[in-house]
Amino acid sequence: MSVTASAVVKTFGGFTALDGVSLAAREGEFLALLGPSGSGKTTLLRILAGLEFPDSGSISIGGIDMSDRPARDRQVGFVFQQYALFRHMTVADNIGFGLTVRPRATRPPRAEIDRRVAELLELVQLPALGGRYPAQLSGGQRQRVALARALAVEPRLLLLDEPFGALDAKVRKDLRRWLRGVHDRTGLTSIFVTHDQEEALDLADRVVVMVHGWIEQIDTPELVWERPATAFVCDFLGGANRVKAQAVAGQIDVAGVRLPNRAPAMVDGPASAFIRPHEFALAAPGSAGIAVVLRRILRTGAQAALETETGDGGLIEVTIATPPDGLAPGTALVLVPQTVRAYPAG
Amino acid sequence: MTRPPASASPTAEPRWLRWLLVGSALLFLGLNLALPLAAVFVEGLRKGLAAYVTAISEPDAISALRLTLTVAAIAVPLNIVIGLAASWAIAKFDFRFKSVLVTLIDLPFSVSPVVSGLIYVLLFGLQGWFGAALRDHDIQVIFAVPGLVLATIFITFPFVARELIPLMEEQGREEEEAALSLGASGLSTFWHVTLPNVRWGLLYGVLLCNARAMGEFGAVSVVSGHIRGRTNTLPLHIEILYNEYNFAAAFAVASLLAGLALVTLVLKSLLEWRFAGQLAGKVH
Repeated sequence: MSVTASAVVKTFGGFTALDGVSLAAREGEFLALLGPSGSGKTTLLRILAGLEFPDSGSISIGGIDMSDRPARDRQVGFVFQQYALFRHMTVADNIGFGLTVRPRATRPPRAEIDRRVAELLELVQLPALGGRYPAQLSGGQRQRVALARALAVEPRLLLLDEPFGALDAKVRKDLRRWLRGVHDRTGLTSIFVTHDQEEALDLADRVVVMVHGWIEQIDTPELVWERPATAFVCDFLGGANRVKAQAVAGQIDVAGVRLPNRAPAMVDGPASAFIRPHEFALAAPGSAGIAVVLRRILRTGAQAALETETGDGGLIEVTIATPPDGLAPGTALVLVPQTVRAYPAG
Repeated sequence: MTRPPASASPTAEPRWLRWLLVGSALLFLGLNLALPLAAVFVEGLRKGLAAYVTAISEPDAISALRLTLTVAAIAVPLNIVIGLAASWAIAKFDFRFKSVLVTLIDLPFSVSPVVSGLIYVLLFGLQGWFGAALRDHDIQVIFAVPGLVLATIFITFPFVARELIPLMEEQGREEEEAALSLGASGLSTFWHVTLPNVRWGLLYGVLLCNARAMGEFGAVSVVSGHIRGRTNTLPLHIEILYNEYNFAAAFAVASLLAGLALVTLVLKSLLEWRFAGQLAGKVH
């Protein structure tokens, strides 16, 4: 089911959690809300679920206005960061809960509920654990039970709050591929919150980058990565070196090297240029480019990471596939940017 | 290199210290709890079993026992409902003046029971604020059962709420939110999620509340009027016997009250044992 949020504003006391956010998810889409903590992403998710009401703005699901409908009327599956499993119920009772609490008129018969629970236990690959209590499960298993419980009510929309936040790295990676598989099989419109850019880029159809209660960019992972709309997005995606530059005649001048701007076009003037570690070439001193002194060299498998220092004390990190011979700390080098994304300085 | 004996745990205190701590705790409990409790029964039986039975089966004692149980039977269920409602509201919802409500719940603990009793006399006594109106409708609150019940409710109000609020706050609101997002109504969320999660805390609060309801002396003493056979609860009956130098009877009735307290504790242990499996399932 499609979902839209229009001009949603939410404040808590004096804090503005959402400052006029608009967003549309298409039917069957897998959307990531990505941002640092305090950016409002979880608040937006809770408003979509009906667990909070917005101060102003509207929410519609499947084209029907849902702004003032409470959570129980929205038919939205919500998976909590800490799972929020019912601790006094078995796994099977947890999964069946949404069906058992239905009013008598719409409640499926007991056998039908049992069948559905068994089916979902199969889907989340925990067929033997129906009789356990949540406290007897590992984090990854609890997360899958939480997902099964949300899917049991046949939601029109699936919302996941930091679904992998509390898991260790290995389980995390497995579970996220598995979740993507579940999404592709069910075709359910899904929105998940994360502060991990790798997770967002790896998993989502489109990524919504948020900061300070505001949406900075909504694009495919490829476009978010290749053409970050703002300096914040470029910085938040991580790893890029920030250097001073000038925008001149539609091009970006970094220490005498002129390159086209990979970021959205900007007016001429002072700029902040972002260059990722692998987007440099090395040159001998005297060439055009950023003059640096090598401080440290770290070989990490196939690549080498160079930690260099500019004349004014700034650090620039560079990764290259094959470092030339004779590279030692203290060597003077020139870094020639190959690609640049620049935004108005300030 | 010397090594400590294999049996010693590196994080445990030395054996002599453990024995010292455990021993002093046991000694203290023995002197302050077990000894007086034993004394109650010994003194009660000093004049023989026949005197004991007479003391607890004379009409005034029976009437006091019946009144005590009646008051507890009204006050405890009411406090379960009010205490649950108050702790649910405080732990799961945000509203203005919440801290005022929390403070008010503690009031019965901080006020002397005599003052609590006097409050009711001032409100409902003949010379009190509502005294004239009550007399016109022929309703007697003070020196009657309603007064005893009101005073007991007031005194025992914090037990259930105080037990539940920290527990509910620690459990947070996420399970309730999950239930709501799964389509449960507010009431069935409370019934299927909130209540089962606090049932052991609730049971404990109810038992404490009940023990205090049966044992309350100060506030009840003020509103009772000490009418033998009519408004005397067990604690008041014991005091009268004691003041009449009828020590054996006083201790005999006291042993009855102590017996009720012991039954409450045994009941709690039995329930915990019976539902040990469910307790294990709910663990953190």
